Amino acid sequence: MKKRIVVAALLASGLLFPRSEQTWAQTPASVFKPAGLPQNPKVQVSWNKYYDYEGITEICAQLAKAHPDLVKLETIGDSYEGRRIWALTITDFKTGDSDRKPAMYLDGYIHANQVQGAEFALYTAWYLAENFSNDQFIKELLQQKTFYILPTINPDARNHLMHPGKTVYSQRNGFIPLDDDGDGLVDEDQPEDINKDGFITLMRRKSSKGKYIVDPKNPLRLIPAYPGQNGEYEVLGYEGFDTDGDGSVNEDPPGQYDPNRDWGWNWQPEYVQSGAYKYPFSLPESRAVKEFVMLHPNIAGAQSYHYNNGIDMIGPGVGESQTSRSGIDQQVYELLVKQADGVIPDFTYMEVYNGLLSTYSGKLNWFQGSRGIFTFSNELLAPYLQVERKLASGADQEIQQEEIDKMLLFQEAYVEWVPFEHPTFGAIEIGGYNKNHLLVHPSFLLAEDAHRNMALTLYQAYQLPQLVVQDLTTKKLPNGLTEVTATIANTRALPTHSAHDQQQSIERPDFISLKDTTVVSGVFLENAAQNKWKEQKGNPARLEVPNIPGMSQIKVRWRVMANKPNLTVEVDSRKGGVISRRF
Amino acid sequence: MKSKLKAAFLVLAFSGISTMAVAQRDYQSYEQLTSRLQQLTRRYSTLSSLNTVGKTATGKEVWLLTLGRENAANKPAIVIAAGVEGTQLATTELVMQMAEQMLQAAVLQDSVRELLQSKTFYIFPNLSLDATEQYHEKLRWERVANAQPIDDDRDGRMFEDPFEDLNKDGLITMMRVKNKSGIYRPSKEDPRIMVPADVTKGEKGEYLLYTEGIDNDKDGKWNEDPEGGVVFNRNFSFDYPNFQPGAGEHPMSERETKAFADFMFDAKNVYAVFVFGPANTLTEPLKYNQEMASARIINGLTENDAAVNSTISTLYNTTTQLKDAPRVAPSAGDVLQWAYYHYGRFSFSTPGWWVPKLPPEKESTESIEDAADSTVPEDLNFLRWAQANDFIGTFVPWKPVQHPDFPGQQVEVGGFAPYVKHTPPIHLLEPIADKHFRFFSAFAKKMPNLRIGNVQTEKVEGGHTRITAEVFNQGALPTHSEMGDKTKWVQKVKVILKLSDSQKIISGNKIHLSKALAGGEKFQVSWVVEGNGYIQVEASSPTAGKQSKEVYLR
Repeated sequence: MKKRIVVAALLASGLLFPRSEQTWAQTPASVFKPAGLPQNPKVQVSWNKYYDYEGITEICAQLAKAHPDLVKLETIGDSYEGRRIWALTITDFKTGDSDRKPAMYLDGYIHANQVQGAEFALYTAWYLAENFSNDQFIKELLQQKTFYILPTINPDARNHLMHPGKTVYSQRNGFIPLDDDGDGLVDEDQPEDINKDGFITLMRRKSSKGKYIVDPKNPLRLIPAYPGQNGEYEVLGYEGFDTDGDGSVNEDPPGQYDPNRDWGWNWQPEYVQSGAYKYPFSLPESRAVKEFVMLHPNIAGAQSYHYNNGIDMIGPGVGESQTSRSGIDQQVYELLVKQADGVIPDFTYMEVYNGLLSTYSGKLNWFQGSRGIFTFSNELLAPYLQVERKLASGADQEIQQEEIDKMLLFQEAYVEWVPFEHPTFGAIEIGGYNKNHLLVHPSFLLAEDAHRNMALTLYQAYQLPQLVVQDLTTKKLPNGLTEVTATIANTRALPTHSAHDQQQSIERPDFISLKDTTVVSGVFLENAAQNKWKEQKGNPARLEVPNIPGMSQIKVRWRVMANKPNLTVEVDSRKGGVISRRF
Repeated sequence: MKSKLKAAFLVLAFSGISTMAVAQRDYQSYEQLTSRLQQLTRRYSTLSSLNTVGKTATGKEVWLLTLGRENAANKPAIVIAAGVEGTQLATTELVMQMAEQMLQAAVLQDSVRELLQSKTFYIFPNLSLDATEQYHEKLRWERVANAQPIDDDRDGRMFEDPFEDLNKDGLITMMRVKNKSGIYRPSKEDPRIMVPADVTKGEKGEYLLYTEGIDNDKDGKWNEDPEGGVVFNRNFSFDYPNFQPGAGEHPMSERETKAFADFMFDAKNVYAVFVFGPANTLTEPLKYNQEMASARIINGLTENDAAVNSTISTLYNTTTQLKDAPRVAPSAGDVLQWAYYHYGRFSFSTPGWWVPKLPPEKESTESIEDAADSTVPEDLNFLRWAQANDFIGTFVPWKPVQHPDFPGQQVEVGGFAPYVKHTPPIHLLEPIADKHFRFFSAFAKKMPNLRIGNVQTEKVEGGHTRITAEVFNQGALPTHSEMGDKTKWVQKVKVILKLSDSQKIISGNKIHLSKALAGGEKFQVSWVVEGNGYIQVEASSPTAGKQSKEVYLR
């Protein structure tokens, strides 16, 4: 099922990445390395612009080629339009089994117009690979952990957005043709660039009943009429005609479903949760990701780079669902949030349920609810990045965008309003924001935000469970028996099983084995405060422990019929990795 | 019609083309079902076709038998889904017999031929192919899950605690262990049957009950992780039972459920779904409940749809005359509720066959005292019915065995043989199949039928013509469900004016869409058109048919 790609073939295909020219100013000798810049990176990428699907593919392929011992590239399946979905596995392949180390999952792009996450995810991959040899923290991290990085899990939408002639006006689209109005035809009434200016913008019409007025500070912009005041304009939606003659304009655009509402936790249909498709994992992209996650039960933490202006990071919490809100899980989230506070100024943490939106069927919810994985959604472009940093509150996002555009980008984002005679609406005007100003960072803010969010991802990866067999003692008992007691510690913050996982028995227990053939009985310390031990009657040599908590330790004890037992202890945890120690 | 049908069967019986069902002695394996379907569709190749919508984990084809094959995808269709729970072998046999009866009748009777010309029947005879195969294996046990390996108790060990045939009879039954802390006692009426002791009446339990087997992993649970699997009827997305045994990793996680759903979403012409499964919404309809129907997550039939359920229930009861049906509510993750809430179609369910109720015996006292409505307890009723019908091998007498998990204790193996409550002698199913055939014929007659009436033209100012037409539903049932109008997956009623190049619409929309039209309901459409010559008005809906009318504009 997994197809390893032939990197050479891609490189030979002429899709060579636009490498910076080796001018004098960029030879290593002429650069004074600032902190945070990899020393002489093997792969050169400009992190101040956006790449289409082919560009992303090329960066992935170059990373895998330049770092064969650190980066492996595979495809996890095809998109609806037949593009391969890439997964980068990043770890020190020379140390341990990559698929058994505790792993961090990261994806960067699911919604059509939230472009920057893919570059941010790639930046994370690039930074890890390029810093491995010089940075001790990164080196240890990649020896102990694995990263699965999927720069885009919606490759079709990306190219629809970026390529000329195609415009994504809906925010969260996928591209499977769909009959939105129930007339038996699919995508038959789409927005069009009716005034042929290269952009699909908005249509407005003068109307005394309209709800909008022209912004007195900026004649290109519409703002809602003040309370008690009449508007001058009504907004008629995106540019287009009533193509099929049913009286509605643009009522059946391409797709019109949300790939982030296709996930198998508390799934609900379209009339409950807008954006839903047919059933959980009915889209090829989400099904491929799901299968990838199921094949990698070592994934213990996950992050997704999304965009939502003003809200930076979203942890779990699912409206009306059975997600556990256990205090222990909450403590882990709080620890991560504290870190986020440190690396991203002006940071706001909200739970999906009581914060941004109460949703069903989301990806985050599935990772957390169905797989018991500690999961965050990093909502990019926090208010601190906006121009008026002191004023940035997230309360009026549009004004902030407006300020950036006016003061720093010199109003590049606007398309002038021009008159048009519309067959359905009569005399109208067409204009507004262009697509480069949808939800994407302006060039000059990209690298900073990419780095800060990466830092957060690396911090969570660092906090994935790290197990050690700390010590082992033996005690001679009568009748030729020996008692063996071992302590297994988890030196990081994340447990091997979230409380929700334990409640629902999502992942199998951790196996702790004494590699001795004469084990007679086995117990583990269930409750340290009460000194309560639990006996396992079946197969006592391999104890099944429900969880190894974060920053904590557990005790196990065996009785063996031997004077000199084999004192090798093996810990085999799905999310905590496999370790073995001989005493 | 009844006598006519009977006559038809008599003719068939003597003509040598005897019904295939007569030749069968037992329930069929996958291979037998496959060749029966192949023979049937070969014999009636102009009326039926056999397709597969997917494969199970062991490579078995998920068969779809289509009746009314000509133009099948463009006619309003009824889906009949059987074998949704692996123990209910009778449902498969029942719908197969019914399909055979329909095809035989279509050759002889104009009305049935016309039925298959105007409607399509999509029949899924068995949706639990890997589970039902357990009936034919050396060790027979009531398997409901498919062959996708699942670690049922999520302990990291697969199939570590299966059943064991302790008494070597090839059947998995029950074990009873004599124990003072037991909560069961033998029934006073028939000591073979174990019933819960009623402590409120001072009764004492004497036995513990377990399924037949050993606690292989010594976790204090018996046979909690046998071979299998996910249950077809627990893997759908409405009210999905997360983390429950047999539910699977997520809704539609299985080859069978996904294949079924994918076929259904593509089949725009499906009007109603009839499940032959555990739930019963036909002898007793689901009721309207405003609170449930208007919740954020709608979990009750809408008012109009509940009225349809009630109508269809009456039709079912009058056409089949079946009595004493069990009351079984829909269950979490089942196909019945999915078909309505998420697929947007009318959906109904019946077990098809059930154990007839025998009157209480005169000398019996316990059951009358115990049960207020003086019905015979189910198990007792079953044993009596089996005896009356010479249905042998239904009960394995309790016999002592040595059991390693209960050293020194009295352990006996026995109880109802697996499957017996869902596998009546096959000859009993033939009249029931006939009754359901009659029900579906009657149902089809009530289905919606879109018609255009009263097309009129009049000259208006500027030499243009105003065209008005009425679109109405001639059937007794709505064009589609009210729930269908909420989902994305049911098409609206569409009226379109088809113009020639020289004609132009001056006013009115070329296309009109309408929500569900009730039986007999109508609406008017009108246009003002420039130009002359023939012009066509077409009304259509995949679930309610299509008609077009031409008028001449002067």
